[in-house]
Amino acid sequence: MTQTFTALRDQLLGAAEAFTEDPRSVSGILSGIVEDVDRALTEKLEIFPVCHHSPASALAMARRLREKRPSVIYLELCEDLRPILGELRNCRLPVALQAFASDLDGFPPGAGPLSVVAPVTESSAEYQAIAYALDNPDVELVLVDRSVDHVFQWSPELKPEKPSADVDDPEEAAMHGESVGIEIGDLRPGFAELEEHLVHHGKVRHWSEWWDQYVEQPLVDADYDSYRQVMVLIGSLFRRLRPSDRAKEDRDEDRERYMWTRMRQHLASSGADPERVMYVCGAFHAASRVAEFGLDGADTFEITDRTATKWLYGLIPSSHSAIEAQFGLAPGSVSIASATWEKAVRAGAAKPFRLAGQKGGKKPAKAAKAVAPKPPEAVTDKLSGFLAAPSALAVLDEDELRGWCVDIVRLARRHGYLASTADAIAVYETSILLAGMRNRSRPTPYDFQDAAVTCIEKDAVPGRRDVRRLCEILLGGDRVGQVGYDSLPPLARDVLDRLAPLGLDLEKRTLQRALMDLDAKPELRACSRVLWMLRYLLPEGALKPIMGSKELGKRSIQESWDLWIGREQRALIELGYEGVTLEQVFELRLRKSVWDAKATASDALRAVEDSILYLDNPRFTEELGERAVELLSAERTVDDAPEVLKRVRRLLAYYRANEPALPRWTELFVTGGYGHYCTLLPTAFSDEDSGVRQVAAMLGFLFTLENLALSLGCDRAQLELAVRQSHPEAPGKVALLWAAHTQIGVLTIADLRERCADMLSNPLVIPTFPQYLSGFIQALDPVPPLAGFVVELLSGAFAKLPDAVLLPWLPTLITTLKKEAAEYIPMLAREAGRMFPGTLPAVDAWTPPWVGRAEPVAAVGAVPAGPVAAFLAGRPESADAVAALLGCPPGWREAGPGAGAAGELVASHPATVEAVAALIA
Amino acid sequence: MTEELLRAPAEVKYAEELAWLESVDDGPKPFSWRLSPKMVRLFILGSERADGLDREIGQKWFGDRSFVERAIVTLASDRGLLLIGDPGTGKSWLAELLSAAICRNSTLVVQGTAGTTEDHIKYSWNVSMVIAKGQSRDSMIPSPIMTAMEQGVIGRFEELTRSTSDVQDALISILSEKYVSIPELDDDNIVFAKPGFSIIATANSRDKGVNDLSSALKRRFNFVKIPVVSNKKSETEIVRYRTEELLRRHQIELDVPPTLLDILLQSFADLRKAAASAGSDDEKLESALSTAEQIGVLEDAILHSQFFGDKTLRAATLASSLVGSLVRRQPEDLAIFNKYLHGVVEPRAKKDGGDWDGFLDGGRQAISTLS
Repeated sequence: MTQTFTALRDQLLGAAEAFTEDPRSVSGILSGIVEDVDRALTEKLEIFPVCHHSPASALAMARRLREKRPSVIYLELCEDLRPILGELRNCRLPVALQAFASDLDGFPPGAGPLSVVAPVTESSAEYQAIAYALDNPDVELVLVDRSVDHVFQWSPELKPEKPSADVDDPEEAAMHGESVGIEIGDLRPGFAELEEHLVHHGKVRHWSEWWDQYVEQPLVDADYDSYRQVMVLIGSLFRRLRPSDRAKEDRDEDRERYMWTRMRQHLASSGADPERVMYVCGAFHAASRVAEFGLDGADTFEITDRTATKWLYGLIPSSHSAIEAQFGLAPGSVSIASATWEKAVRAGAAKPFRLAGQKGGKKPAKAAKAVAPKPPEAVTDKLSGFLAAPSALAVLDEDELRGWCVDIVRLARRHGYLASTADAIAVYETSILLAGMRNRSRPTPYDFQDAAVTCIEKDAVPGRRDVRRLCEILLGGDRVGQVGYDSLPPLARDVLDRLAPLGLDLEKRTLQRALMDLDAKPELRACSRVLWMLRYLLPEGALKPIMGSKELGKRSIQESWDLWIGREQRALIELGYEGVTLEQVFELRLRKSVWDAKATASDALRAVEDSILYLDNPRFTEELGERAVELLSAERTVDDAPEVLKRVRRLLAYYRANEPALPRWTELFVTGGYGHYCTLLPTAFSDEDSGVRQVAAMLGFLFTLENLALSLGCDRAQLELAVRQSHPEAPGKVALLWAAHTQIGVLTIADLRERCADMLSNPLVIPTFPQYLSGFIQALDPVPPLAGFVVELLSGAFAKLPDAVLLPWLPTLITTLKKEAAEYIPMLAREAGRMFPGTLPAVDAWTPPWVGRAEPVAAVGAVPAGPVAAFLAGRPESADAVAALLGCPPGWREAGPGAGAAGELVASHPATVEAVAALIA
Repeated sequence: MTEELLRAPAEVKYAEELAWLESVDDGPKPFSWRLSPKMVRLFILGSERADGLDREIGQKWFGDRSFVERAIVTLASDRGLLLIGDPGTGKSWLAELLSAAICRNSTLVVQGTAGTTEDHIKYSWNVSMVIAKGQSRDSMIPSPIMTAMEQGVIGRFEELTRSTSDVQDALISILSEKYVSIPELDDDNIVFAKPGFSIIATANSRDKGVNDLSSALKRRFNFVKIPVVSNKKSETEIVRYRTEELLRRHQIELDVPPTLLDILLQSFADLRKAAASAGSDDEKLESALSTAEQIGVLEDAILHSQFFGDKTLRAATLASSLVGSLVRRQPEDLAIFNKYLHGVVEPRAKKDGGDWDGFLDGGRQAISTLS
């Protein structure tokens, strides 16, 4: 250690001895801190310690860059982000540099997609360095931190921070999506207790306020040496005070080894003069103690290879609130930092750098004049003075405070508060009083905020925003960045180009409404197509159709859309990581959905529908259809049968209406499906897990697509066998089976009616009757002729079921009908309308058609009677001829009742019959 | 003197501490304040080593520092202070401490009720004296607020929103013009407020809508909302502090085991969570579940253990006090407790055991007694 800081160290050690019971542990930390500062300051390569979103860092950086004019700048930022830095000039800050990977190779399965964001604000030191370097062609900017790939390699469990619940504007706060945030100069105590201690004793509310009061404000006007020494001191303090197990867990030291190794490699290869080099890193890393530290450090660190994951890079819009939410800063702190920066720049504290062509903000400062760089000065101890002297009290800026007070009252009035000039005066007075209580000569924005809340906020918030939020807006407000057209990925540019005929400024964050008369302007059909595709691909809320729909076989004449594409720029940009055009991304998504391990036949059919609707690519549709056939044949459950039936019917209807012939895959699907469902039918009938609806859908497939299936070579015997093998136990399924029997001719409606009548007369079966009825309702789809019978059955049930069974069942019936059989209601209603009388008087005279209907009696055993019978008996020739044709032996007319074995038995033993006859008589 | 009083006001209870603070206070004091704003804060929130005082000052009110600071600066300004919050959040205690620290008099209190009249705020007459001597300053009975004006000290108005709107509006002129005129007198008929006069009012946020403050009165008050303490650490501190005070007052020697304190805090936290997620008023307890209620439950349990138990605080007694104190409506509150005991406490007792078992039994028994 040099002698520069000896006096300070002695003083600290003396203090440790005087004030603590165990001076050894404290003195170790204190002397270590001084050593850290000494080492960082005496390093041959100039280390510039920064803190994130710190105006003091940015100001010091701007001043230092003009003074030193380094030719090489090493920046603590993922090295693979370097190529996109140039795109910053097309954007309005804040934006975030993003690296994105969805195709992972070398990471555990299921870890993706991986995304990293590094937000850049104008008031940050790194932006100053970037702007200086990029606008000076002879300056080289080298990013030296580990690559994005290493971020995840080293911390596979890395998860994005969830924004806290008390964010005012969750929409803005969620701008970074599910990304992991990285930033330069993350400087916070490593453990909660220390932070709590500092906040408590600093008499402030949160960390951001502590930092602003105790570091930021004193350093805004500090000279470079003081700035550097204080920053390294704080970095070292936080580093040394963190728990020892924490140090093992994180990879901060590895990052430092990485950065120093990279810097030495670069210096060796480029031959740059270390005197003209600057290393910009977080104050935490400036106080590093790794062996690799410094130009003369050890070269023992081996940089591991990246995985084979393909990373994509781009820029996404960011906002102050998104940064605050991502990095756990107090709401409004980044805005306040930004306001401090602007104020300092206005006051001439530094001449900032700005990328040429940068959108938003003020004019760029002129390029640094070629002033001869200052020779390096010897390090002197500025720390002792800084730590010993009370912080220079900033003079009360009356104009500024008065402006705030007047503005907050105006703003509050606009938001429904009954605020007046008297309140402005009260806020002014209270701000000064509060600052005085908190040992500040000048009210900070936080004091002002407290004062405004005290004086203006009453018992209720009249509008959407409370006074605290209004203060944040007043003191800078949330600023939302935007990525310029030129920096957008090809897909996003393509989308904007294709939507240009709409004549809307889609980069605006406000709502844009597109009205399209597609018949009058057919050229807008292409825009409509793009919008529908975007609606499919972008998250909900990016665009919404107000009028118009996209369905198979339908075509909109007019469409109206609400568009927020500018606000959802991030989503559009991230879409750009998936492909070059919308169609390509769409195709990829569909392909992915059908080849997914969990994909089902109905998923594949949905993909087919989407492909027809959105893509004009019959070959691709065919491919998806073939996949659907494959998936169907591989399915072992029938859970999706209703969905499959609905979709395949819709597709067949579409093809029949629009194509000269059915595509090959549909034929395969119908024939395959016929066989598949025939095979599964007996199991589905008896399996408890398959519901009535599923079985009904299977029967629906088998019966309603039967004609097509038979025409394509299927055999009906397969279906008959399957039905015969089915032995359901559940009442609903039994009803379905009976319905199936009537459809294939095994059972007549009369028999069915008889069975149902039996059930209604059997008190033991009555409680389950409603379930039978539900089964019959479900059977309306596979067996539509049953509609009349179902109406009859329902009427019978209402008439005969006891209240104890009927009433509990009614709600179930209604909900089931609504949920599962809504499509059958019109059919039932129509049938009921046909059967029941249409007028009230007619009801009295009405007899249900099924009451008193002559039952068709089997011909055998019928007693011939009436004029027809007499006529036939008189002229038996024709009947005999028919009988002969049917193969009945001659003399068939003699075989009346009593003939056959039973007749013979009764004839030979008449006693029983006579006894019965006597009993009846 | 404190021993002779059932409950001594803050300025009496902390008289010695206040006198000492005044003797060491060299900060600027507004008006006729006895302590500087910083010292008032220190008196209320307690001292730390960093304050460099020779003696330790205990914390008397637990809550966010900024609330206290905002309250103090309001009193140093032109406006009155209105502390608003749920019942049991310590509003009145804070008002008392502020008055005691600023002017050593916290007893100039008007209690707002439906029966409060304008006379309670301004002045009334001693009828016998008026008959005997006529109307004069001698026969006038000044209200606590008028007394505070005359003395240049803090007047308090408890439960402002319980009094009717016309009575509330009598405060408007007092807060703006800072004088009260007595038209009955021919001379000496105006009482001017001396510097240092201000009003601390408290209002219960649950009374919102009963007698809403007029806009004119609202703008003469600065509102400081005191939230229910939800920070477990602070709450533990408050409950412990107030319980110790209580034990001292009753001269009871009884230990409150930390595990039981944890159970009490946890049960309140659970019930608050349930109340927050309740869809209607029937699904939550009528109680505000404030810290004061917690102290009440603990006090009840302690007294019960002391006088009817074996002088040891047990989990079952705590549960019984909890149910007894918080069940106000039947069957709604009982049903909530039943659900809580069987849905939350029972699984916890099975998992963690310990005092939770006793707590569950006590709770069950209390519910069955009340049912």
